[in-house]
Amino acid sequence: MKIEKNSHIVTAAAPKRKWKERAGFLFKFLLGLFFISPLLIGFVFSFVPSEYLNNLPALQTILDNLTLDNYRFILDYIPIFRFLSNSFIVCAIIILVQVLFSSFAAYAFSFFKFRGSKLLFQLILVAMMIPAEVTVIANYLTIQNWNLINTYIGLCATSLLGGTSIFMMRQSYMQIPKELKEASLVDGCGDMRFLFKIAMPLTIPTIASLAIFLFISAYNMYFWPMLIAQNTDMQTIQIGMAMLVGTENVEYGHVLAGAMISIIIPIAAFIIGQDYLIKGMTSGAVKG
Amino acid sequence: MNQIRKRKPLPYLLLLPMVLLFTTFTFYPFLRSIFLSFFVTDPLGNPATFVGLRNYERVMTTSGFSKSILSTVKFALMVGVGTFSLAMVLALLCIKPQKGSRIYQTMYSLPIAVASVPVSALASYILSKYGILNQILGTDIAWLSTEATALAACAAVTIWSGVGTSFIFLLVGFRNVPDELLECARLDGAGSIRRIIHVILPLASPQVFFVIFLNIVNSFKAFAIIKLLTQKGPNDSTNILVYAIYSNAFLRGRFETACVYSLVLCAIIFVVTRIQLLCEKRMVHYQ
Repeated sequence: MKIEKNSHIVTAAAPKRKWKERAGFLFKFLLGLFFISPLLIGFVFSFVPSEYLNNLPALQTILDNLTLDNYRFILDYIPIFRFLSNSFIVCAIIILVQVLFSSFAAYAFSFFKFRGSKLLFQLILVAMMIPAEVTVIANYLTIQNWNLINTYIGLCATSLLGGTSIFMMRQSYMQIPKELKEASLVDGCGDMRFLFKIAMPLTIPTIASLAIFLFISAYNMYFWPMLIAQNTDMQTIQIGMAMLVGTENVEYGHVLAGAMISIIIPIAAFIIGQDYLIKGMTSGAVKG
Repeated sequence: MNQIRKRKPLPYLLLLPMVLLFTTFTFYPFLRSIFLSFFVTDPLGNPATFVGLRNYERVMTTSGFSKSILSTVKFALMVGVGTFSLAMVLALLCIKPQKGSRIYQTMYSLPIAVASVPVSALASYILSKYGILNQILGTDIAWLSTEATALAACAAVTIWSGVGTSFIFLLVGFRNVPDELLECARLDGAGSIRRIIHVILPLASPQVFFVIFLNIVNSFKAFAIIKLLTQKGPNDSTNILVYAIYSNAFLRGRFETACVYSLVLCAIIFVVTRIQLLCEKRMVHYQ
């Protein structure tokens, strides 16, 4: 994570200070372990036989009986790869469409003067004021009328564009010098060619942070896909895993193993892409 | 001249997808929700009989409605205050970068990547009657099915999953506070608590307000956690508005009642964001 301090006071590093620093590090590290302990508990206990989870026996018994059975159950009885591939298809559609359409909008707002541009920009702000939870019922009815229940288009429909994406892209388009466009127009480069060959490649860092942000949020969607994916074949990983939690006589071993499988990918994406993600999240969201 | 005219439709074409998508999936459904709230709907969600404001009257006089509002407000306060306080402590600990600070910063922000379904899955085990929390504490409380603790337990789960984002915003704000100012305050004899209250928090006030209100608004949307952990129980104590929207529309087929609930939620969110703007105007100190 690269959040830099704007200035730093240099002090002579006395050995005492060094020990204090080390102790501080240890404390913060242990606090971090405690903070993510729900994940660690989930990870460890996903290897414990389900029947032990409701009444933990002695530690030695647990260690002697560690097992992969919970994972085996998930792989054998739950179409986990189907769920994962559905999630990936949904994420891919959402990322591609959002990046393309938000780049279009950002390009229009930052490189063109046209009538009604202010009004159209206000439209985004108004759209962002209306929470998805309020529109979910009517959207569900629309998708039902269009016979798009249990389709990928239905699953993605309400997430194909967001105000946040347009703002993020616009922020970085405004940093492209206008002269660059004038120069390329003189060289005979058309408006659309400028967008695809020059502007979009220049904003690749922003596109990367937007893509990671969209990947994590699309992969983690629950409410909407729960309504739209009614057949098991169309369900995304979140819906599939939620079914394990929702049953009577929950087998916690299976629940934990399922949860672990479902979080590996977003956690990997987060750890690899956190610099991009954080830059994207914090740029422009707050003034000051 | 000709060239300019030829280019003119382009910005509109570029904005066409945006206008179409926002109209179809945001403005139209919003207006349709308002429209439907004046009717009694059939099970497919089509308007059947016009009843005017009677839906509002019917919904708002039920005891379930006031209980739901009360739970929503309590939940929002717990989540807003809780997430902010925890994120603030973590961000204050990380304010000075050091060798290896990336490691614990990543740990503190990790919940960003964990969706509410796996969070609820973990919580359903940890907080269950025979779960690990009771075994550690030596207690025997079914946290999620006891009326006194269920809402707070759901809030705790929501707080955990929201801390990462808040931590990052606060950290950015805190690290922007100039070192010289902190040093001056220290030389003037201000202890660390006073430095936090009088220097760091006011200077990072944009982020502080943003984080508090972000979490309040997010708490209104904590659907998955309620759905998977308590299903509005015990005794409707966790029936926050977003769950009431879902259960009315999709479990009972009462779309018009759900529309009333969703418009009430929309009004609450609108009021909260207005308050946020007012607070920011009055109290935020921009550097």
